[in-house]
Amino acid sequence: MQKVGVIGTGNFGLALANLLSINREVLIYARREEIAEKINTTREHKGQVISEKVVAISDFEEITRECKLIFPIVPSSNFKEMLVQLRPFLTPEHILIHGTKGLHIESDINVVEELQRHEVLTMSELILKETSVVRVGCIAGPNLAKELSDKQVGGTVVASRYNDVITEGKKALHSSVFRVYGSNEVMGVEIASVLKNYIAIAAGMLEGLGYGDNSKALLITRGMAEMIFFGKAFGADEKAFMGLAGIGDLMATCNSKLSRNFRVGYFLAQGKKPEEILADLNEVAEGIKTIKVVHLLRHYKFNSPLADALHKVIYEDWDIEKGLSYVMNLPVSDDTDFFNTNA
Amino acid sequence: MSSRKSIEKPLPSVVENIEEWPIYVTYKNKEEFLNKVKKHVLQHSSWLNKEPDTLRNELKKILYQEKIRLTKTPWKSDDPKEKLFWSGIKKQIRNQKPIENRGDTQEVDEAILNEILDYYTDKMVANFKPSTFKFTQKALPFVYSRLINSFPRILSKIFSSVDKLYDRMKITGDIDHIRKLQEMGTVVIVPTHYSNLDSPTIGLSLNNLGLSAFTYGAGINLFTIKTLSKFMHNLGAYKVDRRRKHRLYIETLKAYSTVALTENVNSLFYPGGSRSKTGKLEEKLKLGLLGTVIDAQRINLVENGGKKIFIIPVTLNYHYVLEAKKLIESHLKNMGKENYLEDENTNSFGLIKRTYKVITSNPGMTVSFAPAMDVFGNRVDENGESFCKIGNKVEVADYFKLNGEIERNVQRDSQYTQILGERILEEFRENTVVLSSNLVAFVAFQIIRKRFSQFSVFEILSLPKDETTISELEFKNVMERIKDRLIQLDKEHKILLSEDIDLNPQELMTTGIQKVGSSHPKYVLKNKKGEISTQSMKLLYYYHNKLTGYGLEEYV
Repeated sequence: MQKVGVIGTGNFGLALANLLSINREVLIYARREEIAEKINTTREHKGQVISEKVVAISDFEEITRECKLIFPIVPSSNFKEMLVQLRPFLTPEHILIHGTKGLHIESDINVVEELQRHEVLTMSELILKETSVVRVGCIAGPNLAKELSDKQVGGTVVASRYNDVITEGKKALHSSVFRVYGSNEVMGVEIASVLKNYIAIAAGMLEGLGYGDNSKALLITRGMAEMIFFGKAFGADEKAFMGLAGIGDLMATCNSKLSRNFRVGYFLAQGKKPEEILADLNEVAEGIKTIKVVHLLRHYKFNSPLADALHKVIYEDWDIEKGLSYVMNLPVSDDTDFFNTNA
Repeated sequence: MSSRKSIEKPLPSVVENIEEWPIYVTYKNKEEFLNKVKKHVLQHSSWLNKEPDTLRNELKKILYQEKIRLTKTPWKSDDPKEKLFWSGIKKQIRNQKPIENRGDTQEVDEAILNEILDYYTDKMVANFKPSTFKFTQKALPFVYSRLINSFPRILSKIFSSVDKLYDRMKITGDIDHIRKLQEMGTVVIVPTHYSNLDSPTIGLSLNNLGLSAFTYGAGINLFTIKTLSKFMHNLGAYKVDRRRKHRLYIETLKAYSTVALTENVNSLFYPGGSRSKTGKLEEKLKLGLLGTVIDAQRINLVENGGKKIFIIPVTLNYHYVLEAKKLIESHLKNMGKENYLEDENTNSFGLIKRTYKVITSNPGMTVSFAPAMDVFGNRVDENGESFCKIGNKVEVADYFKLNGEIERNVQRDSQYTQILGERILEEFRENTVVLSSNLVAFVAFQIIRKRFSQFSVFEILSLPKDETTISELEFKNVMERIKDRLIQLDKEHKILLSEDIDLNPQELMTTGIQKVGSSHPKYVLKNKKGEISTQSMKLLYYYHNKLTGYGLEEYV
């Protein structure tokens, strides 16, 4: 049986490699050779024990030659650079299922005043644009890396336009500890997995301010509505938001201190500055960037009160209570308005 | 990779001996060809065999739908013996034992299915007679040139100053490349569709390119006159009855196309389906028959040594579309409602009359061949090798491989067909040739639209004449801005410009106004003492639509 490839040795990449190793032999790509060597010799990295069936390499040519099914798990900010290096070796026979919960922005978000749709690409759109690969998918869901590496039971969704991508993803990943569902709603799944990051920041803030479960439930429900409004503006179907990548992932990240985005919100509520928190976390919290991106896309006129308030708090120096009050005083609409409107 | 040029006179055939042409070889061995078609249908119509009673139910559905068609939408072109055939089928089904007492029932049902398949394929199949082809090859240009020479003298005089700048029928594209590809594989032509004149225009253009003859599906409404019907039949036209919506018929049609392609027969589809009712470029394609190129390419990889199929989009650009009024009125009347225009009035006699009228009065047309691509929309080089959008060389086999094996996968291929469809639309846009008539219609309509920016299209179309008059000065100003933008788009390879566009503003305006929809009873545009006006906002809208979708509106 063919080997499966993983690109990226972050927490999620490593956890995914371990899960894949239940069914297949796995090659994991590490950019730095010393990290590949460390993984191969010590069988441990970033606190995770690495399966014997996982071999780390630092050669793109080798991983594309050995594996036709590859999971790129690279932060969105490095994704394009990775693709540019990888693409000489990719062919239309390859299947790429990415697990990156972020967007690629073609412009500098710190400079422009607004973004156009064509400047904002999901990772699968970026793969299609930058490589000769056509069979693309994404993996998303309540997949906190720490729990995955502890082999706790869980599940995920593999989304693709192509049923054979979903089938191959399932064959490689599904196991007695990990259930893999399929979906053709790629755009919805990708948008859901990106936007839940900033909802998690808001959840962390509520927790940091000492609010309880009612408050969080309100946030999660209206957070999902906001994700759907945005998704529809991007051409996504609302269905995906009801699944593992939508409500599933929201429940996990908004309730977990393991989530980086949740921790960002939590520490902000404790009075820390965003720069300090990000420096302390030493990891990417995609939610901070997503808030800015949503803000720069607001001219598409979707309803995004949470993103607006978070933007005011993080980028315009509002204090959190003021941001909360702003959201709580907005007019209310129907409970399930996301089913029938693009508002 | 691409070198565009135009041809004025027919080039010699790439394959000289007609009897070596795949279309001839295939239709000569008709029985063998049809057997392959039927085999393909039976092999790939898994829905026929899913449940024990599926076949019987399908047969009943076919019978029901055929009966409805015969009673509710009978056409003159229908075979008078058809009723008899379906009555026979009905009797056979009725005489069958109930499904519970199976036994040999399945076998008999299969025999009925085969009988229907025989009937469908027999009705569908085309022919190719070299003598008819040679006759047409000789006669058509002669008829065309005679017709063009009969262009009314008075109009010729008016046009004489600009006549030298264009040929009435300009064929442009990377002609040498297309001819070379024909030697390496199968060529599939996918044109835009505006008019019933498209088929003779394309036919003549392909002949001028020296390509082996093409097979193509033609609506049975075009087969009403016996002589012409025979002509079309003998020139490779297979009959398509769009009233038949049953999936067995659709599958048979697709199998026909797939097998013809795998037999290396050049094919032609109108991917937009019917003619553009609005005068706009196709925005959405019908992917059914188009998908057969993907399946045929896969079969070629497994069975035919990997012979490649090349797709060439073609845009047809007219100053004047005879049916414009009927098309746009039908569109406006049926906004948001499905309307199938090709009723029986669109018969072959009508087509001859139309063709004659259009050619005798047409101030010109451009047939623009886009660069060739493979069935996944990748550009191909002079050796037929594919290169993806980022310039990497790619193998078509890789698209079909899963775990190293080439596989048939209908769902995957339907996605590939969508990708191909998007690429064809892109090529349509980029290979549209801007004629002076398109430009002036766009300018005039947009000036009026801007003047009444609060109005809906319907309200604008009903404006009184005095509200729609434009001064020459205003017209020229806007035209120059749009022209500058078009020149920019041409540089970015997003559109093509006809030679007319190079004229100075006065000449460009005059030429465009003279040519736009030149033979409609009502004039589309007229310049009288510096005041530009129209007698038909609907037609102006129709001709203007060709340039929508390029973002030109903001330059008005």
